[in-house]
Amino acid sequence: MNPLKKLLDSSEKYFTGSGKFNRLKPLFDATKTFLFFPSPKTSHIPFVRDSLDLKRFMSFVIISLLPVLIFGIYNTGLQAGYALGESYTFLQAFFSGSRYVIPIILVSYSVGFFWEVLFAAIQKHKISEGFLVTGLLFPLTLPATIPLWQVAVGISFGVVIGKEVFGGTGRNFLNPALTGRAFLFFSYPVSMSGEVWVAAASSVDGVSGATALSILAPEGEKITSALSNSGFSLSNLFLGFVPGSIGETSALCCILGALFLIITKIANFRIIIGGIAGLIVTSIIFYLIPGGSDSWMNAGPLFHLCAGGFLFGISFMATDPVSAPGTNPGRWIFGFLIGFFTVIIRVANPAFVEGTMLAILFMNVFAPMLDHIVIKYNVSRRIPNV
Amino acid sequence: MENIDISKGFKVILTGMPDLSVIQIPEPETIAVSALDIPYIRPKLLVKENDPVKTGTPLFCDKRNKSIHYVSPGTGIVKQIIFGQRRRLVEVVIALDKIQDKKDDFIQFETLSRDDLDTVPKSKITKMLQEGGLWQCFRQFPSKDTADENHEPPMIIVSLNGNDLFSPHPHAVLENETTFFEFGISVLKQFSKRIIVTSRQDNLSSLNRLNGLNKHITHIVPDFYPAWDPGVVLYKLKTTREENRSWCISAEHLVLMAKLLLTGRYPVKRVVTVTRSNDKKPHIITRQGAPVKDLAGSLDDNSLITTGRFNGRSVESGSHMGFFENTLTIISDNQKEELFGFIKPGLTKPTASKTFLSCLTKTPKNLDCNTHGEERACINCGYCVNICPVDLMPNFIIKALLSDDIEDALNYGLLDCCRCGLCSYACPSKIELTRILSHGIDAHYKDKE
Ligand code: SF4
Ligand code: SF4
Repeated sequence: MNPLKKLLDSSEKYFTGSGKFNRLKPLFDATKTFLFFPSPKTSHIPFVRDSLDLKRFMSFVIISLLPVLIFGIYNTGLQAGYALGESYTFLQAFFSGSRYVIPIILVSYSVGFFWEVLFAAIQKHKISEGFLVTGLLFPLTLPATIPLWQVAVGISFGVVIGKEVFGGTGRNFLNPALTGRAFLFFSYPVSMSGEVWVAAASSVDGVSGATALSILAPEGEKITSALSNSGFSLSNLFLGFVPGSIGETSALCCILGALFLIITKIANFRIIIGGIAGLIVTSIIFYLIPGGSDSWMNAGPLFHLCAGGFLFGISFMATDPVSAPGTNPGRWIFGFLIGFFTVIIRVANPAFVEGTMLAILFMNVFAPMLDHIVIKYNVSRRIPNV
Repeated sequence: MENIDISKGFKVILTGMPDLSVIQIPEPETIAVSALDIPYIRPKLLVKENDPVKTGTPLFCDKRNKSIHYVSPGTGIVKQIIFGQRRRLVEVVIALDKIQDKKDDFIQFETLSRDDLDTVPKSKITKMLQEGGLWQCFRQFPSKDTADENHEPPMIIVSLNGNDLFSPHPHAVLENETTFFEFGISVLKQFSKRIIVTSRQDNLSSLNRLNGLNKHITHIVPDFYPAWDPGVVLYKLKTTREENRSWCISAEHLVLMAKLLLTGRYPVKRVVTVTRSNDKKPHIITRQGAPVKDLAGSLDDNSLITTGRFNGRSVESGSHMGFFENTLTIISDNQKEELFGFIKPGLTKPTASKTFLSCLTKTPKNLDCNTHGEERACINCGYCVNICPVDLMPNFIIKALLSDDIEDALNYGLLDCCRCGLCSYACPSKIELTRILSHGIDAHYKDKE
């Protein structure tokens, strides 16, 4: 027998029944089942079950996040280097970036995990794998210079208020990672909003850098050229070599992740495609309205698509099945409206530059209603059987 | 022949398909009539232990309609009457007579000739079938209880295929029985104006070899489970509410009915399959109610023996086949806890999802009887919706059922559920969807009764 398995089996008695640490049973279970995949015998029909389970399901989301994570670390280092007036090699940038990003992720996971274990122990349920995703999604939406205590506050809010008070994974209607982020955004606007403190060697004299979405063109200049002049050319935005939240800058990496999720059918393509369609249609409409050429109204679909956290949000946040609609027409509408509202918020209210986040949270609230309407319609087409 | 357009179901190719050849096994020592595979029955025993019985002697009837008999499929003495919890009847076991050289001593029932068919009243045929122990072959939707003799079904669905992917092949069941089958169809026409006969796409060519059988097939269904389930067929064909109370019957049972009516003797022969991953066993001819251990052999491991991997029951090796059961699926137990098992590429793991490399290969897979994970809360992923052959949303229905909102559950189509088990199969949160739905249907039905 595997020695690790032996150790787990022999220590099991402390965590069950009247064992010393029986309150930590969920933690023990989680560790054990994480290491050794549990597969008990079926006892009800059907006697056979699919090989896919929630651990694998959630692991696939993590895998899809690897490109944005790795690029995010690299880009953070790169931007920090720029702020210091140096240009790092790849390895230098990666290590420098790790120094900012890894602590944030560690804090997010450990604080969030603490709440998970606590609630699992109180409510006597198993620790849900959903947290593995939340704990990584959340830090990726943050700027690298965020103080670690704010990370802790944000993830606590997201896990506790966004999820556990509703009864845990599966019963929450808001995306927990986004809930945490929105909380930070409104509570600590300075460290969260358009003015990002670009990570620098010492955060005290970090250099202030704008994100693409906070750019306004000077009189007479077009928004697109103003963007390019400040370093936000379309190709930079697409590849992600711009300041911004850790995981959100690279459109390319988001698309890679999204493709992985779509091909493996972990995420529903309807949400992603619907969202992109909504964003493109809305931004074209604004583009065609005369005037406003100096604002994001006139940025056109490509800039809207590549700037800010839209692709990140629509690929990884909006596709969280728990807080998205469960019906296919509902998913199309849900996605489309997220794209629509993202543009509306960006254009109409420059104070909330990051429209995607609000659009997704807003649509999370309406997801059950969309489902309700679709189900009503579906039911009306069935031949009643009562 | 029309094609029925069914797109959702279980499309993984499995190993263990039985061979088309047929063998006969020696007469068993004991046979039994089980009560466990008869839905909703409230049995009333008509025999005691040690009573001698002939082939066709009624063993028990249904308290709800005492004229519906369950008769002995052999001649001998009642060896044991087994009860389960709360004195629920499990099996009436009969030790077959050895002295008479294994010849059955039949109870002679009334007979019917082909020419009589148009002149005898329907009630007469009903009575003959009830006394002869075969009326219960008619099942009535939506709950699939024994058919109500006073109800005229808008259609009767005859299914050439059984409840499992590897149930006996209709060619093996109907070979040499076409005349009985045809007589059976004429009997059905006395009960309903619309007779539907469905066949799996892939069976058509071999059925062509059976004289004149194909002309009775009205609909063709695709070759993945459970497209041939009468519940799915009904869902696809029905156009009115009344049709929700249609009947169904298996082709094998239809042949039995025809034999009973034509010969006046209770037919005891059954064709069964025994399947197991990587095996290719022949079809087996045996007697109704044969012992499981005679069919499955002795199993030294932890395998689960079921009468259908998706919707059968799990049986002990000491028990006997039920009246409605004609397949044994032996599912091996693979209960090893793999280190980091959840992230292996999984070239050989069967799945309906797209998360294992196995979904790219067409090689037949082995299913085991393990859950592959633990139960979690529903994450609304929609896998159950995407696989349900009758377009239900199991996740929403169970939410309604769990909050006791039976009205909503019914509106969502609960009674269309054919209990195929696929939603539970596919659910990554390992929620017992089918069990909850099935409980819901039963509770609602018993309430109404
Ligand atoms: S709800 Fe589940 S058991 Fe019922 S028909 Fe659909 S998939 Fe089969
Ligand atoms: S498959 Fe399971 S987890 Fe997914 S929606 Fe259906 S019930 Fe919920």
